[in-house]
This record gives sequence, C-alpha cells and structure tokens, in this order.
Amino acid sequence: MTDAAIPITQSAVEQFTERYLTFLGSTIKREGDRWEVTVPGEAETEIPSGQLVLFCGDAAADLGENERQLHPESSFFQEIIDEASERQPTGKITISSKNTQIEIPQWLQENNINVNDATFTPYYDRSAIAIHYRISIETVSEYQTELLRVTAIDIRSMERLPNLEETFLESTLPTEPQIESQPVDVEKSTADELIAQTREQIVERVQPKIDEIHQEASRSADAEIEEYRQMQQQRIEELEEKKTRLSDRIQDLSESIQQSSDEGDRVEALQKRKELNSEYEDVDSELEELHHRREQGFPRKQREIRERHALEVIVSPLTITQIEYERGELVLELEEGTVTRSLTLGYGDGVGITDELDCEFCHQTLGEHNSLRTIQEGLQCSQCYSN
Amino acid sequence: MADFDLVDTEVTHESATDLLESIDADSPERDHVQTIQAVRLQAGQPDSELRSLKQLDVESVKLLEHQVDAAYRALFEMDGKALLADEVGLGKTIEVGMILKEMHFRETDDSVLILTPAQLAKQWQGELLEKFGLEYVCNYDDEFRGFDQHDHIIASIDTAKSDRHQATVLNRDWDVLVLDEAHYVKNEETDRYDLIDNLSYNYGFFLTATPIQNELTDLYNVVSLLRPGLFGTRDVFHHYFVNSNQETLVNRDELQDRLNKVMIRNRRADTDIDFTNRSIDTRTFDPSSEERELYQAVSDYVRGAYSEDQGQKLVLMLLQKEVVSSPAALKATIEKRLDGQSELTHTDELESILDLIEGIETVTKQENLLSIVEEARDHVEMGRVIVFTQFRATQREILDRLTEEGYTVHSFHGGHSSQEKEQIVENFEEEGGVLVSTDSMSEGRNLQFCNIMVNYDLPWNPMRVEQRIGRIHRIGQKRDVYVFNMALKDTVEEYVLERLYHKIDLFQQSVGELSSILTRLEESGKTFEDEIFERLVNADSEIDLENDFDAMAVDLQEQRELAEKLEEFNSGVFEGFDLGASDD
Repeated sequence: MTDAAIPITQSAVEQFTERYLTFLGSTIKREGDRWEVTVPGEAETEIPSGQLVLFCGDAAADLGENERQLHPESSFFQEIIDEASERQPTGKITISSKNTQIEIPQWLQENNINVNDATFTPYYDRSAIAIHYRISIETVSEYQTELLRVTAIDIRSMERLPNLEETFLESTLPTEPQIESQPVDVEKSTADELIAQTREQIVERVQPKIDEIHQEASRSADAEIEEYRQMQQQRIEELEEKKTRLSDRIQDLSESIQQSSDEGDRVEALQKRKELNSEYEDVDSELEELHHRREQGFPRKQREIRERHALEVIVSPLTITQIEYERGELVLELEEGTVTRSLTLGYGDGVGITDELDCEFCHQTLGEHNSLRTIQEGLQCSQCYSN
Repeated sequence: MADFDLVDTEVTHESATDLLESIDADSPERDHVQTIQAVRLQAGQPDSELRSLKQLDVESVKLLEHQVDAAYRALFEMDGKALLADEVGLGKTIEVGMILKEMHFRETDDSVLILTPAQLAKQWQGELLEKFGLEYVCNYDDEFRGFDQHDHIIASIDTAKSDRHQATVLNRDWDVLVLDEAHYVKNEETDRYDLIDNLSYNYGFFLTATPIQNELTDLYNVVSLLRPGLFGTRDVFHHYFVNSNQETLVNRDELQDRLNKVMIRNRRADTDIDFTNRSIDTRTFDPSSEERELYQAVSDYVRGAYSEDQGQKLVLMLLQKEVVSSPAALKATIEKRLDGQSELTHTDELESILDLIEGIETVTKQENLLSIVEEARDHVEMGRVIVFTQFRATQREILDRLTEEGYTVHSFHGGHSSQEKEQIVENFEEEGGVLVSTDSMSEGRNLQFCNIMVNYDLPWNPMRVEQRIGRIHRIGQKRDVYVFNMALKDTVEEYVLERLYHKIDLFQQSVGELSSILTRLEESGKTFEDEIFERLVNADSEIDLENDFDAMAVDLQEQRELAEKLEEFNSGVFEGFDLGASDD
C-alpha cells in the first residue's frame, strides 16, 4: 500500500518553503543558496514579519540575527510545516479530464494489441472523500513507528477507490503544479460517518506492519520474563545457601548452649539463637513464597511485563479532502493485425476503469493477473488462450 | 515463531472533532493542498545526510563509499545502535570516526566512551585526532584524571572494568559507547560482559570482524547487548536459528532480516579497495668490530641493571633500541643518565660505553643507506625516498651525512608546527630527494607520491611498522611500493626481523589483520615490546635467546592462524547473507 509520506529532500524543502512563504504574501530574492525574504506585517503566521535571510543547505555555520538555515532537518523548516499542517486540514479539490491523462488499464498493456484511440466522455460529476490517517504504533522495546496512509471512497456508493488514492497523492506532491482548493461542501455528519466507515479498514491495511512490531515486542517481553526467571532462580539459590548457613549456625549455637556452664554466655547464645531463628524464618518464608511463585510461573510479574510491552496503536484522522471527479464512458479503439474492435467501458477521472470486463470465451474477469490476450475472434483472456 | 504472541495490541481511534470543526471554519483564502503537503512532509523521513563530511580535510582521510554508507546506515537507519562487522581491513575505525564526527556536528556527543583493547587505545586516539579532528583523552595519558572528569574518553576495557574505575564508569549516563573488538564480550559470564551490560548509554557502536568466535551464541550475546530482545531469549534463538546437531544456521532469511536491523558487514570483494603490490627487501649488515663491541657492552649493561632494578625497564629498553639505531642516539641517553643521577651504581660501565661510542668512526647502517638511496635516485622519479627512524639523534646524523653527499634532504619530526609540517611535505613532493622522518609523521599525511621507504631502525611494535608503511602504501597509491628494512647482524633487530616479523608475514599484513593477531596476544596481558624485552634480558645464552624468539614466533604464528581461521569461519557463516544496504 502506498505510503503517503513525502521524503524530505532538500529540493522538496525548498519548493515547499518557497510556496508557503509566497502564499503568506512574502517576497523572496534568491541569490544562489541565499534567500532574502520579506514577510509582510499583516501575514497570519508565527514567522516574525520583516527581513529574514535563509541559507539553503548547511553552508553557514554562524548565523546572525534574522538568519536561518533551510534544510530537511532545520528548525525553520520544522516550524513552517508544523504551522502549515494545521492551517487548513479540510478542503475540496477537483480532478478533471483536462488535467489528467487517460489511464489505460494494465490488463490491456501486456499483449500485441494497439490502442489506437481512447476517448473519455464525462457524463456526471461524482464526489469522493480522501482522508489522511496517521497510524502510530508504540511499544517500550521498539522505536515509535508512524505511518501515514490515505484512503479514498466514493461518497455515494461508499466503494473504495484505490486508483483515486494514487492520483490524489500524485497530484498533491510539492513538485506538481499547485491545485486550487475550495471549502468542502459535505456535511459534518457525512464526514464523520465516512471516518467511522474507513478507520477500521485503514488499520487492516497496515496490519502486516503491526504484526511485525507485535512479534518483536513479544520477543522482547519473552526475553525479559526469562531474565526475571533467571534472577529469581539465582535468588532462590542464594536463599537456600543462606538457609543452610543459618541452620548450621543455629545448630552450633544449640550445641554450645547445651554445653556452656557460664550463664552469661548461655544467655548471649540464646539471644543470638533467637535472632538467627527469626532470620531463618524470614528466609524460609521468602523461599517458600518464591518457590510458590516459581511453580505458578510468576504470573504477576509476567502480566506486568506483558502489559508494559503491549502495543498501542493510535489512529488519527489528519485531513479530509473532498475530491470532485467525473464519471462517464471510455471508448477504446483496439487493433491487432488486421482486426479492429471498439470497446466501451465505465471510467472515472483519476479513478480509472470502473467496470469489470469478462473474457468472452471463459467469462473470467480481466485484471492484474489475467490480461487480454487477443481480440481476433472476440475478447479472449491470456488464461484461456494458453489452455 | 510466526505465532509468537505474548503481548496485547490496543487500537485507539482518536477523536475527529477538531478536524470536523474545521469544516465550518473552511475559508477559500486558505490553501488546503499546502496543508496536505505539510502533513505528508511531517510524516516523511528527512533526507538525512552526513553533514559533517564537508568539514573533513580530504588530505587527512580518504573516505570510501562502503564506509560512508555504513556510517549513514548506523546513524540513520539503525537509530544509532549498530554492530559494524566488516571483514578485516575495510576501515571500521574510519566508519566510527565518521559517526562520531557527525554526532559532534549535531551536538549529540556530550559524553562519549570508547572502549578498546589496551594495545589499540593510543592508536584510536591518534586516528580520531588526525583524521577527524576529534580530541579524546586516553586512560594512558598523563592528564587522564578519571572517568567522571572528561567527556570524551578512550580507555582499555580492562581499565574500565577494574575495581578502581568501574563504579565511576557505571555511574554515568553516556551519550555514546563505542566498543572495539566487540567479541571480547561474547561470553555472558565474564566481567567484561557485565560491564557492558550494566553501562548506560543512548547510542552504541560495536566493532568486530568476527562476531562469532566459537559458537553461534557469541553472536546472540553481542547483538543482545546492543539490542536486547531482538533475538528473544537464548533458548528461542537456539531453538529457532541453530541446528543443534551440526551447529549450523537455519531459518537464515529470518535471521538475516533481524541482523539487518543491527549489523553491517561489508565484504572486501564488494568494495573497490585495490592495493598495489608491496615488495619487501630486508638487508642485514655485518657490524664493524667496534659496533659489535658496543652492542655487547650495552646489552650486558641492560641485563645487569634490569636484574637489579626492574623499575628502570623503560629506559633500559630505550638503550637497547638506540644501540642498533645509531651511536649518536645512544650517546645522548647515556650522557643524560650519567648527568642526571648521582647515585648510579654502574657509572664505570656507562663511561666505558661512552668511550666505545667515541671509538666508532664508520657507522655501518649509514654507509649502506647511501647505496639504497643511490639506487632509488637512479630508478625513481625525483629520487624520492622516505627514511624512518625512531630517534631524533639518528635523524640528525642521517641528514648530515646525506647533505654531505649532496642529496636534497627534508627533515620531519614532532617539533614542527602543523604549518611547517605541511610545507615540508610540499617541498618533498616538489623537490624530491630524501625525507628523513621520525615516527611523529601523522597517518593523515598524504605521501602517495612517494613509493620507496626505508626502515633505518625497527620499532618493536608491529603496529608501528605497519603504520609507517601505511603512510605510502594506502588507497590512492598507484605504483608498487618498496620497503627496505635495515638491520645489524646478531642484534635484537635481526631477531625481531627474522624471527618475528617475517614469521607473521608482518610486512604484508594490514593494520586490521595485525590488530586481530595482537589483540589475541594481548589476552596474555603483555605487550609485544614487553615480550621482546623480557626475552632479551632473561636469556642465559645466545642459543636460549634464539629458542625464546622462536617460541614467540610459534605463538604468533598460532595466533595468526587462529585469526585467519576465525575470519574464514565468519565469512562462511555469513556467506550468502546480504547485509549491505536494505532495499526498502
């Protein structure tokens, strides 16, 4: 599944910063890697208004007042994206046939059939919603993993539109010409419903990653439990030794009490024996408890370790984009040798082919693993052709 | 293992209220696409780079692609906890140097502890300073005042674990721990293992060419110190990855996946390291009868004095080295000894040594050096030759003699400022002739334009010898390299050369290979120099001495074979493992 995150390269940083500063009404004078920026006083931003000098990359070591570095890890860039990410998390964009190329399905590209012409005729407008989700997976033994995923569904049919997700991600890259946005016109309740509809599904889509981290967390917990077991075992051995030592000393004292004729010595020995007896009992009860816990497998400690290693997955919707697109019919003119055929399929801008097409011979659906093989005597798929 | 399920997973869906609220606040002037981009950039990995690389002096260190790649991965893909397990000789120290330089640049190195075998501590210190400009204090330095008194420390692991220092070492939260020869901690029942296990640090870089010494548990132990839990418990590791009948690895793909998270192993075959040939010409000369007499007198004195007072070991060792370097070198030390101490018991002996020095008219090595230099003048471009000696007095004599004979000479020693040193090397390159240098010639100096080197005398530390050769025989040298060794017959130099250095094939070993031999030797607790000196002073007869040196050579040979076997074994185990950069 496509990762929605954009790698923070120096060029992405510069493109985004330039666009954002311009959007704020700033002027930028570029001299190589040095940008002289003037931020207007009325701009709605945390960036101080007035003159600002940005150095692209990390060339400048000592920065003066109003001078900042601009690179993927620079604090200035972090400030900018933090501000921009909260500015307008909802909006509407339009994808129309004017700015998208017609997508020829994959199953039509792996053969000797030429597509001589492809004409899309839009019949009606449709709306979809694309939602960016941040999925954060956390456990004590692993570094926190954060994933960003987008899901797009048609508002009316509620069907997921994977191709539209791709188109959406593609067309909103900083390297692409900027698409204009407008306020959304779906109701809040509809948007809420769509979030409820999609958030479980997004977890399913990242499940393999969650499983991987889950396995690692389980291993770490297991190692810790084992370590604890060994420590307790060691403690048991120490206590057993101590118990034997105490018992020997008590025995010795008892003998000396029996044999001693001096009352003072005897009293002292009796007191000492009492102390040792009490120590012996403490050791014995601690041992007994440890033995008991060991037999039960240290359930409390196990639970505590397992709970500490448990995975916390937090799913947060970050943006909602209403996407207006057109649906209609795509007419494909096909040619294979001397044979030509015309094919009409349901199609959506950015969505691709919306109809399923079956082989005219075996009625299997054409798709990623079953391409169209020939049109000589009708539409025939590669699977039944090879049989 | 696929169903290994000990912990729960809790999924929480964060409220969307704020997000939904913004639908009402949606205004046409604001740019939603910009917010989308910002959100996506926030989630993106910074295109991290080693920013400090630009600051490195290209004259001091030539970085290879696999080294830069390893440093990058260790820092950014492994979150600063990595086992650097390149095959021997590929520059693991350089990789760590780059990592530390980068951390310094990013100001994440407030406290750094580098633990090495004792023999390598000073070398680490030198390399970090010369190649990366990083200043570390070493526990062998006079100014070392304890593990809580400095922020950047290189220490032998055994010093760190000693009763005297352990508490201080453990009491500190280190930003970075570097552990060289990490197989030292392969055994979980040792003090060394306990020390590392109990150390508190944020980033860890462990180095070894042979993570597996005896059995696969070694790998488990070393990796688990660095990334506890990565392999689960020892039992699970054994059960799942080791075929206990044959002690071989099973489930290799899974093991590779896990190792890939923490271990980097570059293989020589995959790198572009290509050295030219190195040709060694060892010449031994008959000393004159006067020189022979002097050698005997000094050796007798050293033996006698050492038997009386072992505390003078260092100075006696020095005399034994100087006598084969040059009478001039010896003279200065003897005079200093006579002048400096009023209660000397061997005054007569020392004075007679001085007389013997005065009696030497012709210095055999000097005469023979002329013929080597003459040969070079005929065959090599601009007659460039580097002559190394350990002593300033010897250096001065050589320089005087060569000047007398009409050669262009250049002198290089530790007393010059760094600017002067640069100028000297520059002059040598432009004018040609002979550069006479002490061992203070830093490793960073770029001398690839010269390909002939003379060891006028020989350090008793094989590492030193290799460092000398390394000045000219390094990456970037395009011609074959010629090394001439000069030694006087029947002297310690001949023993060291013939019996030890040639036996371990010293002159063809890389620093990495040598360090693996020497650190094995170090397990016995003595340095190479000590071993030589002890043999020299304790032998009862010439034959004894020869036998002793032969025995040491056998030991060395064994260590060398063991080191080679281990390297082969590890290559075998990791064969077919792609531990290079991951594809994702």
